[in-house]
Amino acid sequence: MGLRLYQEPQLENPILVAGWPGIGNIGIIAVDTLRGILEAEEFGEIEPWDFLYPNRVLIRKGVLEYLEFPSSKFYFKSMGGKDIIFFVGEEQPTEGGRLYAEGGKAYRMANLVLDVVEKFKCRRIYTSGAAVALTHHTTKPRVWAVPNNESLIPEIRGYGNTVLMSDIEGRGGHGNITGLNGLLLGVAKKRGCEAICLMGEIPVYLQGLPLSYPKASKSVLEVLNHSLKIEVNLDKLDELDQKVERRIEEFYQQIPLEIKGQLDRLKQVTDAQPAEPGPITEEEEKRIMEDVEKFFKKRGGGG
Amino acid sequence: MSQEYPIKIYKEPDLRHPSLVLGWSEDMSNLGWKATGYLNRKLKGQEFAEIEPEDFFPLGGVAIEGNLAQFPESKFYARREYELVVFQSGSPGAEWYKFLNAVLDVAEHHCQVKELYTIGAMVSFSAHTAPRRLLAVVNSAEIKEVLSQYELARDLDYQTPPGERPTLNSFLLWIAKGRNIPGVSLWVPIPFYLATVEDAQAQKKVLSFLNERLDLKIDFRDLDQEIREQNEQLAQVRSRFPQIDDYINRLESNLMLSEEENGELIKKVEDFLREGD
Repeated sequence: MGLRLYQEPQLENPILVAGWPGIGNIGIIAVDTLRGILEAEEFGEIEPWDFLYPNRVLIRKGVLEYLEFPSSKFYFKSMGGKDIIFFVGEEQPTEGGRLYAEGGKAYRMANLVLDVVEKFKCRRIYTSGAAVALTHHTTKPRVWAVPNNESLIPEIRGYGNTVLMSDIEGRGGHGNITGLNGLLLGVAKKRGCEAICLMGEIPVYLQGLPLSYPKASKSVLEVLNHSLKIEVNLDKLDELDQKVERRIEEFYQQIPLEIKGQLDRLKQVTDAQPAEPGPITEEEEKRIMEDVEKFFKKRGGGG
Repeated sequence: MSQEYPIKIYKEPDLRHPSLVLGWSEDMSNLGWKATGYLNRKLKGQEFAEIEPEDFFPLGGVAIEGNLAQFPESKFYARREYELVVFQSGSPGAEWYKFLNAVLDVAEHHCQVKELYTIGAMVSFSAHTAPRRLLAVVNSAEIKEVLSQYELARDLDYQTPPGERPTLNSFLLWIAKGRNIPGVSLWVPIPFYLATVEDAQAQKKVLSFLNERLDLKIDFRDLDQEIREQNEQLAQVRSRFPQIDDYINRLESNLMLSEEENGELIKKVEDFLREGD
């Protein structure tokens, strides 16, 4: 039940990169873009019916022709010692109307992904998602990196534009990663595989909008390129970003001036150094968050 | 199936290739639940199995309906004389695939069911005075052919609109197809202002088809009486509230109402029919 491999490619010490939809679809866009650019080949899937609900039925002339489910597919790309397996899930398995995967189904799905990791002797897993942050949409998103093994920290410190949780003011190295992007890290740790979750920053005021945030996906892919030592042209994401940027600006212009004034101050938040006082005080941060919350409540939840 | 399902069989039913009829509660106008309940009552169906609720229904408390605490039920009834199995259940909140496979395991392995029929309702913007129609969606061309001798629409074209999900009945038909069990999903369009109350005419429509198809020899005089009473109540609403009469007249002339008018019509009819209960 569950895992179905159509072929067993010969891969050399591959890494696995996994992505599911989430806030701003940052992770899935990053993973799926890289998969597309590298023209990775599909080789397996997790059968959906135990995990996911059907998303489309086609009835023609009264006959139910097929029922379609969200896909959860594996792809591979042989790159001479830099081989990659991709796992792209169109949906996270949820229970009881929750937004992100948790519970038995999520745990079972994470274990099926790990079965593939073990079968192909993957040396590392990368997952990718969003980090909701007090940043501005005109600044370059940073990448928050969370490893499941202390030995990975020195390596992460060498990545550009990347922060550890301890680098983020007020976090004290703590936080949580919701859904499968986080759970997979935990299950990998349990099964003795090293893993890193790369989360692209998305401004706090955009998290509830039904918009992708490709700018953060690009930041994630830049880190991934560096870590995997591959060169991939990311112009495709710039084109997507320009389209989204226009819609974000339209939304931004609708925000009341008083709140926009507060949000404009976030343009100064670019420093990742933990010891230095940030350009925004804790009290100001609290006020911005309150104002943003009030604004979205007034708008009816913001999507 | 290799997986253990929470099925409880009280007594193995003595049947030879019966038909299975399924109805869910919380259906529009409660149509599936009422129609399967009617079959059980009239044909004296004997309960013989159930599916335990814990994996499928939220059990954080109990719902209260009609002043009574409710608990999710998923029960099988059989009547040998008519080679009929009836399944009545709440619509599961989780693990649809596992639940529907449990239903089909009972149907296939304990009853040797030859075909199945699900009952469902869909919203219609016609007036209640228009005759009810019956639509069928099937899971094989063979069963479609068999249905050609009955009065029902069999040529529906449909694709799930963006943002919506297929129904439990479509999922069941699809799984049944994988098991080579012919399946028919029966749908009755119900006037939107009867969606939260009962629609005896819709029940009669679907039950009449099953009566004919499964040779159940049901005497519908009691249901005919219910239809007359409901029609009288609706006539009273029209005569007491000229505005409501106007709305229904417009629906009878195939005119659409505004959203506000729809809301007013629903509320007045609901209030009136519930007071009259």
